[in-house]
Amino acid sequence: MISRRALEIAAAALTGIFGVVVIISSIDNGIGWSSAGVDAGTFPFLTGVIIVLGSLYNVAHGALGRGTLANVRIAITATEVRRLAGLFVPAAIFVAVIPLLGMYLASAGYVFAVLALPRRQPVLRALVIGAATPLALYIVFERMFQVSLPHGALAAAFGF
Amino acid sequence: MENLESLLHGFTIAVTVPHLTLMVVGVLLGILVGVLPGLGAPNGVSLLLPLTFGMQPVSAIILLSSMYWGALFGGSVTSILFNIPGEPSSVATTLDGYPMARDGRPTTALATAFGSAAFGALVGVILITFLASWVAQVALAFGPPEYFAVYFLAFASFVGMGGAAPIKTVVALGIGFAIAAIGIDTVSGSVRLTMGIDELVKGVSFVVAVMGLFGIGELLIAVEEEFSARAVSSRVDWKEVFRALGRLPQHGIALLRSAAIGCWMGITPGGPTAASFMSYGIAKRFSRSGARFGTGEAEGIVAPETADHAAGTSALLPMLSLGIPGSATAAVMMGGLMIWGLNPGPMLFVDQKDFVWGLIASMYLGNIVAVALVLLTVPVFAALMRIPFAVIAPLIVIICVVGAYSVSNSYLDVVLMLGFGLVGYLFKKLHYPLAPLVLAIVIGDKAEDAFRQAMLMSKGSLGIFFANGLVTTLVLAGMALLLLPLALQLLHLSRKPGEAAHERVRII
Repeated sequence: MISRRALEIAAAALTGIFGVVVIISSIDNGIGWSSAGVDAGTFPFLTGVIIVLGSLYNVAHGALGRGTLANVRIAITATEVRRLAGLFVPAAIFVAVIPLLGMYLASAGYVFAVLALPRRQPVLRALVIGAATPLALYIVFERMFQVSLPHGALAAAFGF
Repeated sequence: MENLESLLHGFTIAVTVPHLTLMVVGVLLGILVGVLPGLGAPNGVSLLLPLTFGMQPVSAIILLSSMYWGALFGGSVTSILFNIPGEPSSVATTLDGYPMARDGRPTTALATAFGSAAFGALVGVILITFLASWVAQVALAFGPPEYFAVYFLAFASFVGMGGAAPIKTVVALGIGFAIAAIGIDTVSGSVRLTMGIDELVKGVSFVVAVMGLFGIGELLIAVEEEFSARAVSSRVDWKEVFRALGRLPQHGIALLRSAAIGCWMGITPGGPTAASFMSYGIAKRFSRSGARFGTGEAEGIVAPETADHAAGTSALLPMLSLGIPGSATAAVMMGGLMIWGLNPGPMLFVDQKDFVWGLIASMYLGNIVAVALVLLTVPVFAALMRIPFAVIAPLIVIICVVGAYSVSNSYLDVVLMLGFGLVGYLFKKLHYPLAPLVLAIVIGDKAEDAFRQAMLMSKGSLGIFFANGLVTTLVLAGMALLLLPLALQLLHLSRKPGEAAHERVRII
């Protein structure tokens, strides 16, 4: 269970860290005014400062729990976390195996696994949708619009 | 009358068989992404973008804008029939649309929504027809300081009028700017913010960001809320359609007021979502039937729908004439313009007359096509909603992955897209607005260039932003908008201590 407060603080901390990274990185590019005009790092530096200041305000605001939706104590419940993970984790695995398996195999496997494993759909239907997906991708992208999708290291090893 | 001549010329471009076909295809695809939760207008348009690279710019923009109209209509269908807003901008439509449909009057609700939406869109297009070229003419005289001031005004109006928490909007804008700065700096040629990852030198495409923020982010929100469709009857009774349309003039004042709110929010980038909520709120306060809002009042459908479509349409006015998109989807389209080699802004009206007026003419036709098609296809798309979400979700993930990859055939983009998905979920959950983030990614570079050119002109003095009446007015207006939330809060505190900020609006 994640409280609204913790989530607000975590988000503000993330944006704050991003801001700090932007500031540090843009100082390398040089900030301020030189003979060539405004230095390359100036504008990112300023946005970094704005992000950090805004994040500090949001952290304080979130920690005090004032104002926006303070009455909602729990932002995400345990069941919701499970449902979110149920969507995101398979998607992340799908993306992770694309370099190895290629888009077609990976998408077929992904669709089949997501549909068949939790037993939400009959296996046969999962097989059909799993086979139809890469076929549709192939027809639309490779054939109609001539966009080559990654075939993967495995296919390359077999000489495709 | 020059405008009318140009418009007629535009119609000769838009009314051709290929372009009418593109309109139909675009509207149908738009309704599809509008109906499907997790796919919305911004990522629908970005998905199609890589497929338009080989087209004529005018054909491409007709396809993309038609998709936008379709998505706006499609979002209302699910709001009314399923109480599930297919688009963030149609959330307000659920408030009275669904109760009316549940009451056994789905056709009335749909026809009222589409009729007022068409009216709002019409007002928006008429505004563009007569105002866009004039604005562009004024803007032709703009130099870098004026441009920066206009960008500043656009960003400030998000903070002042966007409806989300102002500081969260500022943070979202800042992050957008930083993302826009990633890669090679166009002025000095130095590499910025790549954090040592060589592949980032080419920068982060806004398409990748949109795909993740809106696509994956929206999907995560939808799965969390365990979305299930409980539909009311989706059969359309044609006699009732015409009767409902005939009753629309009774809501004349609401129509005009909502259209005015929508146009204002579309031109100053407040966006359709904020416009529909604001219009609903104002109608509830001022309408004679205001007390019955929420129980299926026709005016509670008229107000948000008219404003939504007026805003969505008029968001293209600043995009065309100034190069500043008025909504997230307009920002994506503007990114497309730049990819097709056009330079959004006043020069379009000089160099690309065919493109501009072909687009404007197509907006008249596209909306008519959209109303007709959406009414005809309601049962089909309503049936689509009965496909289990468990099947649709992985397919949308694949669409987003392939969409992100096809922008520049880069695997890193896919990984970034997934990362943006988590950010999108977190931001949506905590009501950080996404539209200004996307806007800043698309036009951040241009704003920065304008600022640096202005600084070169003035040799580093900020005084150039107060050098003449025009630029001073723009900068002061921007500052006023930035301070507006603060002023409102102070006013509110002095009146009612304790219940300061209410998060009334769910913002994209």
